Amino acid sequence: MGILTDEIKGFIKVIGKGGAVVHLTTVSKDGKPNIVAERFVATYKEDYIIIADMFAQKTKVNLNENPVGSISVAYPVSEHPWVFSGPATIISHASPTDFKWYDVSAGELLDEWGDWAAKEPPDEVPPDIAPPKLAQRGLIIVKVENIYSFDAEKAGQKVEGGRA
Amino acid sequence: MELTNRMNSWISTLGVHIATSAKNGYPRIIVTDTVEVKGEHIIVPLTDAQFEFIKGNIAENPQVAVAPGQIGSIRAPYQFKGNASLSPNKLEILVNEIYCTKPGYEAGIRLDTIGFDAMAEFDESRWTDLAPVNK
Repeated sequence: MGILTDEIKGFIKVIGKGGAVVHLTTVSKDGKPNIVAERFVATYKEDYIIIADMFAQKTKVNLNENPVGSISVAYPVSEHPWVFSGPATIISHASPTDFKWYDVSAGELLDEWGDWAAKEPPDEVPPDIAPPKLAQRGLIIVKVENIYSFDAEKAGQKVEGGRA
Repeated sequence: MELTNRMNSWISTLGVHIATSAKNGYPRIIVTDTVEVKGEHIIVPLTDAQFEFIKGNIAENPQVAVAPGQIGSIRAPYQFKGNASLSPNKLEILVNEIYCTKPGYEAGIRLDTIGFDAMAEFDESRWTDLAPVNK
């Protein structure tokens, strides 16, 4: 069994289907954090969280020089004060299909999630905050090695089985 | 850089995610339900657990990044970067960079460089919800 429980897998999925909005944090080589909201998010296999790379800029620069990411649940938070962290990278559409990162095959991953808008159309997004055009360039992937709580009274406590 | 009324309203009501980092580039995140905004400062009350969790990072690297919490994560798409100072019950962040993180062609636009009035105009031209409708 991987680090992501069935409860977590059920929660981290497309927001229109009852899933979550998360914040993705990356850090530059000189220690400057960058944190942005992401709504195209899902779990993959037993240990990974994937995010569609639609508009990432600084995130990509950071991951290219410091391949670490943290994902904190932004909405809805109730009962789910989780932060997931671990090694992270970008698998772009330009990646060779036989490229491997840990036990993830770029070809298999992109076949399944390379066209997120077609697989999971963002129909529920209100027009005033919907992007005019979705152009997916690949996927950001985090291998979750650590889960901790951001509950104010339990900040940093390790989460196991979904509970701190 | 001073925050606009809209920025202030959203993060004061719904709180923020605060990203800190060790010198080696490994992040630690805390989340608060509310903050106080005073001009160009975001002041965050901390619990003992939050203080203990980030004190090492802030001591060696005061750079932090802040994003609106809860539904503000998508309805108030901003990122604030600055330097933080820590005391046992609060974190005080001096904001020196503000970015728009709205998905689309404006993602990543830096707002503090266009000046306060232009930044406020940018806000008003794009959103009518100047404050969270409900918590």
